[in-house]
Amino acid sequence: MRFWLQRLGAAILLLLTVSALTFGAMNILGDPLFNILGPIAGDTENPENIALIEAAEAEYNLDKPLPVRWVIWLGDFVTGDFGVQFSEDGQPPVSDLIAERLPRTLTLLVMAQLMAVFISIPWALWSASKANRPVDRASTVLTFAMIALPNFALAVVLKYVFAIQLGWFPLAFTANDPFWSRMWQMVLPAITLAIPAAAVYQRLLRTDLITTLQEDFILTARSKGVSRNAVLFKHALRPSLFSFVTIFAINTGALIGGALIVENVFLIPGLGRAIVEAILREDFPVVLAIVMIVSAAFVILNLLVDIIYSLIDPRVRAA
Amino acid sequence: MTDLTRSSGHDTDHPHLDDAAASLVPAIAGIESHEVPGDGTEVAAKRRVGWGFWVSVAWIAMVVLAAILAPWLPIDDPEVTQPTRVGERPPYPPGSEFWFGTDQLNRDMFSRTIWGARTSLTVGFVAIAFGMLVGGTLGMLAGYFRGKFDQGVSFVFVVLLSFPALVLAILITALLDRSLFTISVTLGILSVAPVGRVARASTISFADREFVLASRTLGAKNPRIIVRELLPNVVIPMSALALLGMAVAVVAEGGLAFLGLSVEKGSTWGKLILNGASSSRDLQEAPWMSFAPIIVLFLTVLALNFAGDRLRDYFDVKEAAL
Repeated sequence: MRFWLQRLGAAILLLLTVSALTFGAMNILGDPLFNILGPIAGDTENPENIALIEAAEAEYNLDKPLPVRWVIWLGDFVTGDFGVQFSEDGQPPVSDLIAERLPRTLTLLVMAQLMAVFISIPWALWSASKANRPVDRASTVLTFAMIALPNFALAVVLKYVFAIQLGWFPLAFTANDPFWSRMWQMVLPAITLAIPAAAVYQRLLRTDLITTLQEDFILTARSKGVSRNAVLFKHALRPSLFSFVTIFAINTGALIGGALIVENVFLIPGLGRAIVEAILREDFPVVLAIVMIVSAAFVILNLLVDIIYSLIDPRVRAA
Repeated sequence: MTDLTRSSGHDTDHPHLDDAAASLVPAIAGIESHEVPGDGTEVAAKRRVGWGFWVSVAWIAMVVLAAILAPWLPIDDPEVTQPTRVGERPPYPPGSEFWFGTDQLNRDMFSRTIWGARTSLTVGFVAIAFGMLVGGTLGMLAGYFRGKFDQGVSFVFVVLLSFPALVLAILITALLDRSLFTISVTLGILSVAPVGRVARASTISFADREFVLASRTLGAKNPRIIVRELLPNVVIPMSALALLGMAVAVVAEGGLAFLGLSVEKGSTWGKLILNGASSSRDLQEAPWMSFAPIIVLFLTVLALNFAGDRLRDYFDVKEAAL
């Protein structure tokens, strides 16, 4: 019990620190008043504008000290109030934008991770069963190539080959299309994210499998007459999945960053497009909300991994 | 004194010779298996870095030299519009005149790619140098002194790692400016935690060793022990990490370019690729505009990763869970 409380406490402390840093940076380095009022914010000569500025300061708590504003903002954020989009007409709430964009980015991530897992596990099993033979060495070289091609470059190459030359995929995302059509439009971007991820997973799982295959219980199983394939799938795979779980979560962080970039190549209006648009328009609450959501997801994911890990291997809790 | 503690592979000056030796050893070991079976092969396998390493190093050296010497190389000015050919509209495909073709404004892509290397590699180098300096120092001090200071530093590392890297880069570049300096340092801050953790773990593994104790017994103070005893042991394995980190920073610059957040002035590889691919029509009609820098970027990242990975195996670097 103490272990769980400690982990939870650390995660919450981490989230608070991350939010304080993000909020502080936004407020100290950026100019929230300018974001709200535009050029009026700098004009302190005109008495009308001074009144406007003071009204805005009062409304958005800008007259209060920074830590107080952070606490107020945090309270709002936790209860789902992310502020308003200053750059849009009528200033709709940021939560509307998030609700529209987040599902697309999530779909992309889930698709990419599923693809990566379904590619990497059979591939790693196959590689490990042929460890250090020429085919295995060739596949290791291939993983190097898959990791070395950055996601934006891979996106451009895939777009050129499969969308432009072969015409299998549309060039852009159309939000009004029916569900399956939209899913199809996500496939190419998901492949872009899945290729390097699959290579990362394959390399790790292959190494772990090779280590496991040298254990005594594998030898026992083999000598009892279990076939090579059955040993691979039934005996070796499960104990080799420990670090796979960790890298899966850590890599999700990298994939989130990748998704933001890839969305911009394939013109998918997800969180990545949203944050780029918000930065261009200096829409402070939108950027803040997206950064916080992504960071929070990342911290929570890591916490989940710790929990899963300690469930699989109770020794972790004792340490 | 430190020589004794380094891994066994340091005294090899001729890796090619080692390659040959390594391929012979298993044969010998197979024949004379009654003498310490397998022992010699393991050491030999660890010692060699392989020819792939040297090919990678040669490519990196070539790109770095081209980038440094760009102003003096006999190549076209990267910003000057080349004269158009009669009856043909630019961009022109790769050929004997323009090796990498030309772009929409009929500028030489080969020369633009070399000049792009200047900015991209500068970003990569400054970023990892910053990470090594700050992260390495913090990690070593934390690993050496432990206690409260270690807890504080470790917490900072955890906080840095709990931002998805790109999001932190977006945050800083969006709030500050997009000068070469800001972007390099931003990517440098991102490398502080990963580098620092390895430095810390590696320092911890050396801090209790006999040669440190011996040095302390001889009356050496902490600064001397850290600089003269621990630093040489920590810094050499970190060179592998530097190559990997540089690749990450070069790629990160490209990613920022696609978010419209890369270095404002001059061309970078990321900006060149984006320029060639920003409209589907350009990509369809003149794919070389993005593919030429993609290939150079790919080969460079591949070479950095491969060389770094070989070095890491060579020095057996581990981020021990200490």
